[in-house]
Amino acid sequence: MKKLLVVLLAVVLTVGLFAVTKITISGWPGNPIEEGAIKKAVDTFNSTIGKQKGIEVVWEPIAGDYKQVLMTRLSGGTGPDIFYVDVYVFEELAKANVLLPLDTYVKRDNFDLSDFYQSLIDAFKYQNRLYGIAKDFSTLAVWFNKEIFDKYKVPYLTNDETWDSFLKKLQQLKAAGYETPLALAPDFNRVIPFIISFGGRLVKPDLSTALGEANSKKAIQFYIDLVTKYKVAKEPSALGSGWLGEAIATEKCAVVMEGPWTIGFMKGSFPDTFKKMGIVEMPKGIKKATMIYTVAWSINRATPNKDAAWEVLKFLVTEGQQIFVEGAGVLASRKSIAAKDTDPVKKVFYKGAEYGVPWKVSTPTGLFATANDQINSLLKDLFYQKLTVDEAIKIIETNYDKWIGKEK
Amino acid sequence: MKYKTKEAIVGYLFATPIILTVLVFTIYPIVAAFYYSLTDYQPLEARKYTYIFNPYDALEIHTGILRKEARNYTIDEMLEYFDPVSFVEIDVGVKLGEEEKKLIKEYFDSLNLLNDYREGKLPNEIKIADFMKRYMYKHGDRFTKYIPRFVGLKNFKDMLKDMYFYTSFWNALLYSIIVVPIQTLLAIILAVAANSKIKGVNFFKSVFFLPAITSSAALSMIFWLIYSKPGVLNKILVALFGRFGFQPVDYLNEPRIALFAIMAMNIWSTAGYFMVTFLAGLQDIPSSIYEAARIDGANGWQIFWKVTLPLLRPQIVFVSIMGTIGCMQVFDQIYFLIRNLRNITISFYIYKNAFEYGKMGYASALAVVLFGVILVLSLVQRKIIKEEY
Repeated sequence: MKKLLVVLLAVVLTVGLFAVTKITISGWPGNPIEEGAIKKAVDTFNSTIGKQKGIEVVWEPIAGDYKQVLMTRLSGGTGPDIFYVDVYVFEELAKANVLLPLDTYVKRDNFDLSDFYQSLIDAFKYQNRLYGIAKDFSTLAVWFNKEIFDKYKVPYLTNDETWDSFLKKLQQLKAAGYETPLALAPDFNRVIPFIISFGGRLVKPDLSTALGEANSKKAIQFYIDLVTKYKVAKEPSALGSGWLGEAIATEKCAVVMEGPWTIGFMKGSFPDTFKKMGIVEMPKGIKKATMIYTVAWSINRATPNKDAAWEVLKFLVTEGQQIFVEGAGVLASRKSIAAKDTDPVKKVFYKGAEYGVPWKVSTPTGLFATANDQINSLLKDLFYQKLTVDEAIKIIETNYDKWIGKEK
Repeated sequence: MKYKTKEAIVGYLFATPIILTVLVFTIYPIVAAFYYSLTDYQPLEARKYTYIFNPYDALEIHTGILRKEARNYTIDEMLEYFDPVSFVEIDVGVKLGEEEKKLIKEYFDSLNLLNDYREGKLPNEIKIADFMKRYMYKHGDRFTKYIPRFVGLKNFKDMLKDMYFYTSFWNALLYSIIVVPIQTLLAIILAVAANSKIKGVNFFKSVFFLPAITSSAALSMIFWLIYSKPGVLNKILVALFGRFGFQPVDYLNEPRIALFAIMAMNIWSTAGYFMVTFLAGLQDIPSSIYEAARIDGANGWQIFWKVTLPLLRPQIVFVSIMGTIGCMQVFDQIYFLIRNLRNITISFYIYKNAFEYGKMGYASALAVVLFGVILVLSLVQRKIIKEEY
């Protein structure tokens, strides 16, 4: 009798184990604090909803070249069930039909999308179908080192700076003997806020490039002039830093335009410098502008457990998001969670959601990666004065169709 | 059976494991690369017919008619809301080519599908391939497996118009032209030094060989620190030449210098590796030849040029061919250190196209060209430095 019981128990246990649906979620690990928050969210899910519904979530981060690894795994049929999709590669993936449309699930569960910032929902729509829900977002703001401004007797930067007054203050720093006040990266996405605030646009209504238009061109010229003409800015590598946040954290420059991800990095590694920081909104030209970076959770179209994956995704953007926001210092994509986030440092970044534009360049083919690489390379050349802005724009205009894969 | 055939069979049987491995992991990929270079292969589409979808959901979204209300409509009414091409492309979710669109327009059995929908005869879940087979009058088999479109020599023609093909190719070539002779010569000099009978020769041998066993990622990080603008190299140069007006240079970001900085790093790290080859060659040269040369009155310089170098010829051929192949394919240091497309090499460009731009066909074509060039270069080298044995 006893033996029978043991066997029965074993059978029940095994069946129980097999009944658990395993859902793998992937993203880039980010910094340890960020990854810690994700792990905590996963544990919370597994011990509550997961236990009830027999779902087990496994966090499998992809270190290194995320996009390349993800694409390779998706084409090999070994992709994770749920994964990060950066808004910048979203169209490419949506167009390739590797993401699961979420509309039917949203409708079935009456999932409330109106609580999310509209721009973040729209960012993950393609052909009017929703393919991902924003996990959080970031915007850019101006960081400056108050101590350096005090030392050189330059008034602090404010929330109402224009590009002219911004430049003036940088020039004052330089005139007072501070060699490199600003760090700027030769990255196209960092130029976009300049373009928008100068009244320019990225693409024309027919989705061809608008970088050659007068306002866009003026903005690009100004960005380059900061480096070459006014000589108030340098790229981070010229200051011996890997990226902008590191440059300001190590006090190699006095001003950068950076996102909220730098908060966690600085608090962790350079707490003393962090105390000297002032953070204000981006300067304005004709209008205010900043960049919105956002990443969504999307479901793999090939997953055999669609319903379970949807359950997990729902958790990740509701209670999971609460955990991220508290733990990793990211900005909440849900207004209700954002309202609860009273961290004064983040206020400036939340404000950016009102006037920012998502980091995404619409193209008829959904492809922008090549064009982005090429434009970045041109920016680098511009920083080193190998080209003039006019020449660079001419190169962009002549080759744009080829870069986005339109030319047949 | 004849003894000879029997022996052959046994022989091949023993060799089967390695023959299979080579076939599967070497021959097949090479052949596949040649084939893909003639197509527009898109890896992300490779699995597009294997996805499972819910036909009810797809039809609900497409027609706007709910599943339970479908009975209230006649087929003709439903047909008004139904367009097979956009249904398959957007709602079923299959990226279609022009030819496939045409087939669907002509042969898709809309009537049957809508009828099944009305009567609830559709399965709740079905693989796209099976669905297409079921609802196409004809040519359903065209929609079961992804076959990349054959484009002939288009990829190769595109290359001629691609500025970065020329840039990256020229960079790889320039890299080889400069690195191969210097690293070969340096390796010979190191080998001769390591072969001499001086004190602590083993210590020198290890030091020379050390870079070869260090991972290129670690080396790249160290050189990133050395080459950065506030780095060690600039500090030394400023200390030495600062008063002559030397300005610090950002070696890896300055487009005119970056590639040369990588070359210097590569020469340093591979010379030790090839030294070992020459060392083996040197120890193969019989000492009687040196003795004879010395009796004839040759000095050290003459012995090096007239005895050592000619006798090292097979090693020189080997090292220069291996060096050229390595240089033409240089990837890791570029991947780690270069951020400007102006300074990339062809293998990095292949990687970008294949895994980042999703242009596997074009990447394969680039790889085929690289293969051809390396083949020709190796043959030319063998012709120039003849093996005479």
